[in-house]
Amino acid sequence: MTDGEALEPKPITRRARVKGRALKLVKPIAGLRKRSNYLYFWEKRWFYIAMAVGAGLIYMPTPQGLTESGMIILAMSVVATILFVTEPVPLPTVALLIIVGQVILMGIDSKDVAKSLMSDSVLFIMGSLMLAVAVVKQKLDTRIAWVLVRMTGTKTSRIAFGIALMSGLLASFVGEHTVAAMMLPVGVTLIQLTSNDPKKVRNLAAVLLFSISYGSSVAGIGTPSGGARNAIMIGYWKEFFYDPGNPDTFQFLVDYVTWMLYAYPMFLLQIPFVTVILLITFRPEYKDLSRAVVKLRAKVEKQGPMKGTDWLAILIFGMVLLGWIFASTQYGMGTIAILGAAAFLVAGLVAWPDVNSGVNWGVVLLYAAAISLGVQMKDTGAAAWVAQNFLDFLAPLGMDEGLGLWAAVSLLTTAVTNTMSNGAAVAVLGPIVLKVAVAAGESPIVIGFITAISSAFAYLTVVGTPACTIVYASGYLKTTDFLIVGWKMVLMSTIIMLGAAAIYWPLLGAWLEQ
Amino acid sequence: MNDDVEETEVENEINDLEKPHHERFRILVCIDGSDESYRGVRYAAKIAKGEDVDIVLCYVRPVDQGLSSGGLQVDVARGNMLEWGLELPGITYLKKGRDLLIELGNMGDDWEQRAFHSDIAGTNLGDNKIDYTAKSGKKIVLKLKVARTVATGILDQWELGHYDLIIIGASARWDKKGGRAIRGFFDPAVAQKIAIHAPCSVLVARDLEIGHGHLVCTDGSDASTEMVKKDAYIAALCECPVSLMSVALDVESEPEAKTAVSEARKLLVDLDINVLETITKVGDPVNEIVEAGPDYSLIVIADSGKTGLERFFMGSVALKVMQNAFNSVMIVR
Repeated sequence: MTDGEALEPKPITRRARVKGRALKLVKPIAGLRKRSNYLYFWEKRWFYIAMAVGAGLIYMPTPQGLTESGMIILAMSVVATILFVTEPVPLPTVALLIIVGQVILMGIDSKDVAKSLMSDSVLFIMGSLMLAVAVVKQKLDTRIAWVLVRMTGTKTSRIAFGIALMSGLLASFVGEHTVAAMMLPVGVTLIQLTSNDPKKVRNLAAVLLFSISYGSSVAGIGTPSGGARNAIMIGYWKEFFYDPGNPDTFQFLVDYVTWMLYAYPMFLLQIPFVTVILLITFRPEYKDLSRAVVKLRAKVEKQGPMKGTDWLAILIFGMVLLGWIFASTQYGMGTIAILGAAAFLVAGLVAWPDVNSGVNWGVVLLYAAAISLGVQMKDTGAAAWVAQNFLDFLAPLGMDEGLGLWAAVSLLTTAVTNTMSNGAAVAVLGPIVLKVAVAAGESPIVIGFITAISSAFAYLTVVGTPACTIVYASGYLKTTDFLIVGWKMVLMSTIIMLGAAAIYWPLLGAWLEQ
Repeated sequence: MNDDVEETEVENEINDLEKPHHERFRILVCIDGSDESYRGVRYAAKIAKGEDVDIVLCYVRPVDQGLSSGGLQVDVARGNMLEWGLELPGITYLKKGRDLLIELGNMGDDWEQRAFHSDIAGTNLGDNKIDYTAKSGKKIVLKLKVARTVATGILDQWELGHYDLIIIGASARWDKKGGRAIRGFFDPAVAQKIAIHAPCSVLVARDLEIGHGHLVCTDGSDASTEMVKKDAYIAALCECPVSLMSVALDVESEPEAKTAVSEARKLLVDLDINVLETITKVGDPVNEIVEAGPDYSLIVIADSGKTGLERFFMGSVALKVMQNAFNSVMIVR
């Protein structure tokens, strides 16, 4: 019996020994396979799927009514869309592939492709991003905070409304990402001064931070400089419909003021609803923030009075704004934006390394390629073909004209924009919906506005709008918060927009024609 | 003579098996600010009572690709927050984790502190690390890491440190992958990704509570035996009671399951580990294990060792248990 017990461990160690030897051989190989090949492939699987789909589409028999090059560009758009949504590779790579695809697959001269990449819209996107960094670096946010709390007092509901309105007014001119980056510390400071325990101020944090992000998101539609998507749509209108020899087409040269007349009232109308929706959805724990406001004031007052450089920054930005309003038809919005960026650099208000690291240049590249793709969609007739099929699909539902079509376009844009950035959504959808408008006998201006404005309705996800992404970086919000409040926002905005399209815009259109 | 050679060989084997134990046992705890992740810290603290166990708290910040922030880098906003004297969330979370470790007595105030920073292309803030070292050589590290995604960040961190155990919460924020609800359909949860790809043991924390013991599931295979040993080591560190369980697919193979359990029991008794009970069940392994799970702190199960396509088509009991379990699961490699 004692012998038995003594012998017992032996088989196990023997087994361990055999296993140990085997492991020495097998482990490195298995580990390598597991970590490199498999993970590598799995991480990038959507890239291969997208490429396979693209190849399949190109080798499919071309459907009736579509040219061969139209089919290729359509396949490229589908591939680009899959890659935009799934992001298996860094997104600027998609831009590079679009350029290569146009030259190699479609046989377009590389000189022409290169030319189609740069346009006033792209210059505008580039310039306004540089301006955004320059504005954030001016530290004007403390001044804004000071004005804000002076005007609103200490009641939570009033502060929330004040933040939404202030963010909105600024964002409508300087872009939502700029305002979100500037206002985020203001919001977080108010939250932290109220309580250090995030759990005690969960709802308060949600109200204040969403006031920043949704306030600036709804404002992004207000003026052409509110967001890249607006500039892209203006570019498409000109590219698709403008003909210098035909005075009837001059209405498609939408300038800064015209855009504001269409969209600015909508933004102002939405702001009170934003605050009401937020206060109902998240009932803040504190009805009064007087303690935090007093501390914030003390903090801001330490900064002293406005300095000369502060005034200079405001002056330069004011000039840019005036340039956009009065000179953008003559010189182009892009030219004025980059002139403004140059002025900030000349005045020494911002250093180039800050601009260089603050702007994601890949985005400029990406929009350039996406717009170039959109223009090819038009030139090859692919956009018109997709538009016709879209209408044929909507016709049995009775949605191929009027309010039904508007709702369908808005729904399509909202769905797409919630999965990718809103600028990319407009760049991809723009050519199609404009051709839909032509085929359905609707005004391309109205349909274009509906697309550009609906693309701001990405309230459901963190990545939907730039302001949401930036505010989420504070760590106070959960992804589910965006869903809880987002659908109410989508509903509210859609109703207001369709109301404007049905009532306000026809009146405005008639008035403008006079 | 021959016996002698074999004897030394056996000794070498045993040394080899125990090698990671002779060195320091390293635990990587992934923190995302959720309560679940701090329960993970508490558990790590329990295991790491000894002097030869290091804890690394890691927060991964996915690098922003810029498009979703409209071309303005989120770092501009982060930099602005820093200028206001506000702390960024990752740092706040890590500090909270450190304070928890101090509170639990794992870390003293007199530890030597060293900070490291390395620049990462594409972000202004880069990787940051604070090392706390005790006189005995025990280390606690706070690491703020920038990576393309949370999952790749954690796997990269393993490459740097070769940890013995990764603890990760199965909280909602992880499985939405940094926040894209729709991408949830395309990408598996972060915790799942780590559990599949990490080369070491992974503990997926779900309502992790200390003190209910380990439910160790074995099927008598070599991989399982190995796993039982490794878990025995962890159980010994945290002084948790161990229960052994084996599931037979049908009644005929029940004796095999019984043998597997009793062999494992012997193994543990030899290592001076207290075995609370042994269980054998007949039925579907995944269901039986998941149902038995909630009475224990965690379910311990061996990775089947399948890779790539094999796993894709056949699935693995370990991963299914991880997905379906109601409580924490540790996959041992």
